[in-house]
Amino acid sequence: MTLSKDPLNLIITGVGGQGNVLASQLIGRALVRENFYVTIGETYGASQRGGAVMSHLRISRQSPHSPLIPEGQADIVVALEPVEALRVIGHYGNPSVSAVVNSRPIYPTAVTVGEAEYPSMKKIEKTIREMAKKAWFVDATEIALSLGSPIFTNIIMVGALVGTALLPLSQRALEEIIKESFPVAQLSNNLKAFERGWEKTRGTNDQTSSSMVVNRS
Amino acid sequence: MSVIKKNAPGTSELLMGNEAIARGALEAGVQFAAAYPGNPSSEIIGTLAQVAQEMGIYVEWSVNEKVAIEAAASASFSGLRAISAMKQNGVNVASDFILNLNLSGVGSGGLVLVAADDPAALSSTNEEDSRFIAKLGDLPLLEPATFQEAKDMTKWAFELSESINSLVIVRSVSRISHARGNVVLGELPLEKRTARYDTSKIFIPVAVPLRHLALHLKQGKVRETYESSPFNSYVGPEDPELLTITSGSGWFYSLEAVNTLNLKDRVGILKIGTTWPLPGKLLAKHMAKVKKVLFVEEVDPFLENNVKELAAEWSPEVGSWTFYGKSSGHVHPFGEINPDLIINAVSKVMDKSYSAREKGYGQKATEMTKALVPNRDLGFCPGCPHRATFWAIKAALKLDGRGGFVTGDIGCYSLGLGPAGFFQLKTMHAMGSGAGLATGFGQLHKFGFDQPVLSVCGDSTFFHAAIPALINGVYNQSNFVLVVLDNSATAMTGFQPHAGTGETATGSAAPIVDIEKLCSALGLRVETCDPFDIKDTTDKILDLINDKGGVRVLISRRKCALVEAKEEKAAYKVYVDPEKCLGESCGCARLCTRIFKCPGLIWNKEKGKSQIDEAICTGCGVCADICPESAILREEN
Amino acid sequence: MSTEIKGPQDLEKEVIKADLCTLCGACVGLCPYFRAYKGKVVVMDNCNLSQGRCYSFCPRTPSNLEALNQFIFKTSYPADSLGTFQKVVMAKSLDKEILSKGQYGGITSTLVAWAMKKRMIDAAILTKREKELLSSGKVAKNKKQVLACAGSNYIASPTLEAFNKSAGGSYKRMAAVGIPCQVLALGKMRINPLEHKNDIEKLSLVIGLFCTWALSYREFFQFLQQEVPIKKIGKMDIPPPPANVFQVRLPGGVKSISLDHVRNFIRPTCTVCLDMTAEFSDFSVGAVEGISGWNTVILRTARGQELLEDARRARAIEVADMPKANLNHLKEAALLKKKRALENIVKRTGNKENLLYLQGTDSLRSLLPS
Repeated sequence: MTLSKDPLNLIITGVGGQGNVLASQLIGRALVRENFYVTIGETYGASQRGGAVMSHLRISRQSPHSPLIPEGQADIVVALEPVEALRVIGHYGNPSVSAVVNSRPIYPTAVTVGEAEYPSMKKIEKTIREMAKKAWFVDATEIALSLGSPIFTNIIMVGALVGTALLPLSQRALEEIIKESFPVAQLSNNLKAFERGWEKTRGTNDQTSSSMVVNRS
Repeated sequence: MSVIKKNAPGTSELLMGNEAIARGALEAGVQFAAAYPGNPSSEIIGTLAQVAQEMGIYVEWSVNEKVAIEAAASASFSGLRAISAMKQNGVNVASDFILNLNLSGVGSGGLVLVAADDPAALSSTNEEDSRFIAKLGDLPLLEPATFQEAKDMTKWAFELSESINSLVIVRSVSRISHARGNVVLGELPLEKRTARYDTSKIFIPVAVPLRHLALHLKQGKVRETYESSPFNSYVGPEDPELLTITSGSGWFYSLEAVNTLNLKDRVGILKIGTTWPLPGKLLAKHMAKVKKVLFVEEVDPFLENNVKELAAEWSPEVGSWTFYGKSSGHVHPFGEINPDLIINAVSKVMDKSYSAREKGYGQKATEMTKALVPNRDLGFCPGCPHRATFWAIKAALKLDGRGGFVTGDIGCYSLGLGPAGFFQLKTMHAMGSGAGLATGFGQLHKFGFDQPVLSVCGDSTFFHAAIPALINGVYNQSNFVLVVLDNSATAMTGFQPHAGTGETATGSAAPIVDIEKLCSALGLRVETCDPFDIKDTTDKILDLINDKGGVRVLISRRKCALVEAKEEKAAYKVYVDPEKCLGESCGCARLCTRIFKCPGLIWNKEKGKSQIDEAICTGCGVCADICPESAILREEN
Repeated sequence: MSTEIKGPQDLEKEVIKADLCTLCGACVGLCPYFRAYKGKVVVMDNCNLSQGRCYSFCPRTPSNLEALNQFIFKTSYPADSLGTFQKVVMAKSLDKEILSKGQYGGITSTLVAWAMKKRMIDAAILTKREKELLSSGKVAKNKKQVLACAGSNYIASPTLEAFNKSAGGSYKRMAAVGIPCQVLALGKMRINPLEHKNDIEKLSLVIGLFCTWALSYREFFQFLQQEVPIKKIGKMDIPPPPANVFQVRLPGGVKSISLDHVRNFIRPTCTVCLDMTAEFSDFSVGAVEGISGWNTVILRTARGQELLEDARRARAIEVADMPKANLNHLKEAALLKKKRALENIVKRTGNKENLLYLQGTDSLRSLLPS
């Protein structure tokens, strides 16, 4: 499979603790399996305690690249949290960027304390559609809760990403990696979560996911 | 899950820099590994610990970095290859031993120290360039620029160490250690050495001046080896207009900058992997072709200034250059470097304009971010016992009213500096500094000082560095209260076990060093409390503050919420009764969401009520005790 | 009421930090932001409301005495130094148990217990001294509990905290016994309860106690600790002039400490208090100078008079006429406190038109310093 651009730059972003690191690893390893050069840059440590986090993936057929994506060079943004999509697009976005966004907010303490405002989901969606070429909105947290825990959110979003076909990865390629990555006891839930995410976006060019843009503000 | 033990030479795996380093050590036949957790180095020993049993090697989490490298040195003294890894602050802690070890030598086994820096202090208290220890101690230094090099350099470092009987330092940074990339695996050795200490040898730095001279001679040998090392390489035109000299993570950024600016035929990049001692001849050869040199490296102008020293020596013969880098300000002399900074630097030096993206879009993006995107503060996780402890400390100090304060230390609870911990911590420096400062403050009553002093430290920090300060307090009869925040983990760095948790690095059972017993043995008054019982914790703190004598200890004990979540189901189902919730009105004024600030509590503006975010709440139930109206309810699960 | 109601931050600035806090406790127990601890009101966190009950109820924020007098007595705030009253009598308890525990005539304890017995009230907010001389408000529901609170207390106590915390409960009619600042605060609660109501309608009987000043806890405690064994202290008493001593009853006898020393610990806020007899109560109780074993009772409202009369008829208490000389003496003492207070206030504000927290006090014009 070929890349639409070389290097292809993917950012997976969210709030510390949401599992962007695991998501980036699954994608990265699947790509290495397909013989791509992959470099992943992560933010670890203190930011995991509720701060904004990003995984930068550089995907190339030709050579390895730096673990950080330069300003304005993101090709795909996968956001586990809606306002983080805005933050990342704000710095790394460009008119050609595609975005796959989880629709459930995690409120920063600045907001819950009343010192800052959290934009409405409507505004977020509108802004993303203005700033990105293509955008998908997925109610990943809701799906995760229906599967029993919010921790499945990241796998669901990996599924959604694969479903968009923006990456040269098939459903099967990811499922192989998932099988290698989880102990047997957790396997079926994670495969299910992946599939539910994949179903949301596959075959679509660009859409708002069915119904649920949960307005919680 | 550990791919680093895979016996499949020639295959390519996606490895984290730290995993690659661990793999390099395994390929070199390392048999002893010791470290103290510290971001960004923790995964090196962490990964080795995961495969220790299978690979038949010894791996330990030591109590602190000095002990770690001393323990590792015992192995190299006995003929085994050993490794220790630490963050920049750990190098400071270990430095006294390192700066004696350089003179004594390491024995017949190779000893490698991996120093992993955290530029911009993304997860540290300071920003520091640990490469200087190499110059200070006349020790060989290597800087991997890629994940492959992280593995290959670590492996080679053991060979180098044995060939010159010296400690070798491999310096990494966050963007190498924690980033991932393709690594081709090498072979795993079959041979295992037997440990034996040759009693005819002594490992001492004495006679110092002679050994110092010997060290310089060793350096000369290393320099020769470095001149032809494959870890130094050049890409670019035969006659560049600008020579970029770079090391470590600077390599990728320099490449990216040159490619992005389309200057491949005008700018050459010399990658130095053998950063100290400098391969002078190699440098001279490349620098002879240019008049402009740009240095790209992380944290301090180490490479830059060392090259300038050489340039000063050469200048009578070769002339001079215009140097660009951290001294000229083209590359920030503070913080972390990144592709954009280097693109900027090169574009300035080469006078080639660059704009990251189309102006209109860029402007819109900046405005949008400013208008819509709120800051995300770091905070304690939902259910964190530190939030409860700091809430009790805040209440106790307020009630006491004498201007009492808290000296802080390093760990998750360092977030007590900010809003999440109600701004309780007033100082933060090194491991154990909180107690060290407190033992001093506790003497100032002789000068009219009457403010109660509390010092907080975590359970792992206690063993690392607080004990000497504690004993100092006992011996010199200082007045302060030490609050040990015992969450049974070295949490901030990734939940590694320590001397108090009952488990070793490799997962086997370990005796528990009991903090309470230890303090009692010092003759101190020791109290324990459960931070989730806020009233009791507050009362105990007040009682201890008002106790007239010496050092007093409060152990605030409750498991870390993230560890607890992995092991147990949530204790409670928590929810808000909107009928009882007073919200913004007199009597509450949003105490839970505005002041207590657990992320599991959110403010519903439309309804004017607080509510629990069930995707975030961990069910600890503490907020139910905070609510003045008992509007937050908890049901046992 | 023309008085502007502000919020907790203003309360902190205008009263607590200005050393005017009386520790009455009216601001404590309403919310998590104010707590009383060892003799001080502590602001625990920053409540960001611009208006609060704390400010409204505080006896040291702008207090319109005219409006309050009208609300309670339907008359103007008088120039009389004893405030609005119907009659002043002497009274003493005929209950032996109470006489042994109470101060002077034991009237307060007797009438509270009596009101409970006759189911006029089902709970009373009283002040109890506990460990280390620390006093706080207590809810008494029966005679035994009333007796446990008997005895004079010269140290400020945040008694109204107990009212705030218990009024929301199951009690239907409550009494409160307080010193003048506390009684003023209760009056302010009644006149402007704010949106929360505070269950102030449950307050059906207010008994005031005479007070010249109250002592600051932390400093006085430290001082007394060095003079006597705190744990052994029984009653405390300040006998009438010319004695000039502070007496502490110990197992071995009575220890007298010079009142001049003790005066060092008078709360600064007492120097700007003009009310010696708790003018906004149903009735006020104090000692009778020169006549031991009796109380002075100033009867103010019909309810107060009815209670007294009821108890007298049932022979729970004995009532006698107040000798004129004693009444004059009382009025003089009360007038002196008023004058001193106004003098201190004007000294503080530097302006006769600015009487600090006092409003609606036209009747006192003649008492202002020249």
